[in-house]
Amino acid sequence: MLTTIIPLIGRRLAISVFILLIVSVLLFLVLHVLPVDPAAMSMPPTATIAEIEAKRIEMGLDKPLPQQYLIWLSQVLHGDFGTSIHFRRGVLGLVLDTLPATIELAVLSMIIASVLGIVGGLVLFHVRGTRKEPAMDFGSILLLSIPEFLWSLFFILLFGVALHVLPFTGRLDPDMRLPLGTGFLLFDSLAAGRPDIFWSAVKHMILPCFALGIAFSPTIMRVLRSSLIDVYQEDYIHLARLRGLSERRILVRHALKNAILPTLSLMGVQFGFLFGGTLLVEVIYSYPGLGNLMVDAVRNADLPIIQAVGLAYCLVVLVINTVVDTFYLVLNPKLRIR
Amino acid sequence: MIRVLPPWLRSGRVLAGLVIVAIIGLCAVFAPYLAPHDPNEQNLVSTLLPPAWTEGGDVSFLLGTDSLGRDVLSRLIYGARVAMMVAVFASLGAMLLGAVLAYIAGYFGGRVDALIGRAVDVWMSFPPVVLSLILMVGLGVGLRNVILAIIVVDWTRFCRVLRAEVMVVARKDYVSAARLVGFSHWRTITREIVPATLPLLITLVSLEMGIAVIVEAILSFVGMSVSATTPAWGQMVADARQYIYDNPWNLMFPIFTIFLAVFGFNMLGDGLRRTLDVRVTATQRV
Repeated sequence: MLTTIIPLIGRRLAISVFILLIVSVLLFLVLHVLPVDPAAMSMPPTATIAEIEAKRIEMGLDKPLPQQYLIWLSQVLHGDFGTSIHFRRGVLGLVLDTLPATIELAVLSMIIASVLGIVGGLVLFHVRGTRKEPAMDFGSILLLSIPEFLWSLFFILLFGVALHVLPFTGRLDPDMRLPLGTGFLLFDSLAAGRPDIFWSAVKHMILPCFALGIAFSPTIMRVLRSSLIDVYQEDYIHLARLRGLSERRILVRHALKNAILPTLSLMGVQFGFLFGGTLLVEVIYSYPGLGNLMVDAVRNADLPIIQAVGLAYCLVVLVINTVVDTFYLVLNPKLRIR
Repeated sequence: MIRVLPPWLRSGRVLAGLVIVAIIGLCAVFAPYLAPHDPNEQNLVSTLLPPAWTEGGDVSFLLGTDSLGRDVLSRLIYGARVAMMVAVFASLGAMLLGAVLAYIAGYFGGRVDALIGRAVDVWMSFPPVVLSLILMVGLGVGLRNVILAIIVVDWTRFCRVLRAEVMVVARKDYVSAARLVGFSHWRTITREIVPATLPLLITLVSLEMGIAVIVEAILSFVGMSVSATTPAWGQMVADARQYIYDNPWNLMFPIFTIFLAVFGFNMLGDGLRRTLDVRVTATQRV
């Protein structure tokens, strides 16, 4: 098995690196047709034109674009993402400080989306052909029409303002300090032996995670339902029934095994989208992650951050896709034939 | 009477979707006649008023006012203009770009297909919101640029789905027959393949309109869409989020309006898919 899988994974990795390279070129091109002047922005307003011009030369902005790109790329490969114009700090540090918060949010949301999606898919499949089906079907379209943007705001209104049961700003209660460590708050707070911080972090994550999780679950539901319907047309299901197996056993041991494959593949794609979706949820919940950093940078036209955060998003999505594809290869023997 | 209607107009979903979309469309077109106030008229003595039917409400501001004392109802009605412009032009633009590439890729296959497929892969690795934000930074704010950014981000939705369909259709016997009769590639695609994929295309456009409304709302929420003087639903959400404790109603109305618009487009799209898709059986069309 390994001898057939490893070359396939190698190919997948090579493609990912290639895509990342193209992405970096695109990012650089889009951001360098900008009408703003990064040199002028990084100087105090009292700077003379000559000083700004000197800064332009220092920043390499007078060189031709391809050369600027190569300089930037070689700096990036050496881990130097430049200095933020607005925050006056190293960009890599800013990204690494905020990335764990976003990953934590995305992973928990994905778990919620998967559980809701799989349970919902089973329910939708279970009610097929019954009188409940049209209502459930309508419900799933209704769910599909509500993006994470609206869920987030709706949850703030309902649980934050009206019922006043959950906080909706930041990662922790205002009087608590972030424990030092990995940046993954749930882990750090436990490692520091602070259950109070852990509990506060959990409470702050419930609304954003459910907003994202619910928004991404309907697609999973619908794909699981239709793959289950397809699988139930197969002869081996009829055979299992003839063998006298219970419906529950047929579903769990036989049908689900095959029907879950397309669902898993979809969940991989969804995870990539969900990771992008964290941006907005973070802004709405003032959650200090990559998304808020990005929006701050966009508002201030802070190019070094926009470039680095853009790359970080793509890198994470590509890593997710590669891992999912690998996982899929391991699970689905049909794909191993070259 | 009802029997002469085409089947797609008899579907409840399509009708419901059309009604919702038509109402919002009419609001957009006739905004100056429908809106009780100028959407940018500030009334600093009566800011953050609740709706007229609640305590402290004012009858002349039916849905209340925002933090600058602007009439919420009028802003919602005018906001439909940006939303509908973006929905129509961005989705048609994305369709045009994505469909042309999908027909080329699916019909010719080979290297062209591989190249377009790679481009889709590159785009897919960019989260749509991140890419559209970056594009807005590059292009600058404004309605035209919002539409352009959504086209550049969302063409892949059409390209991916349609390409697979075109590949299936292109291998059908009647397409080969057309080629044997001496149809040019252009004529084969436009006369034989496009009609076969039209139902899918219409459905995708309808769904994309809903997506475009959301993307515009997101961009105007973070202040990267139209200029601040043009009312947009996302801006209203951003303003209301800041004053959520003073007036939660202000958040409710734009949320519901955005939801209604997206729901309308999705109903329309889902209904059209069921009635236009020849593979869906009769019982599933109701």
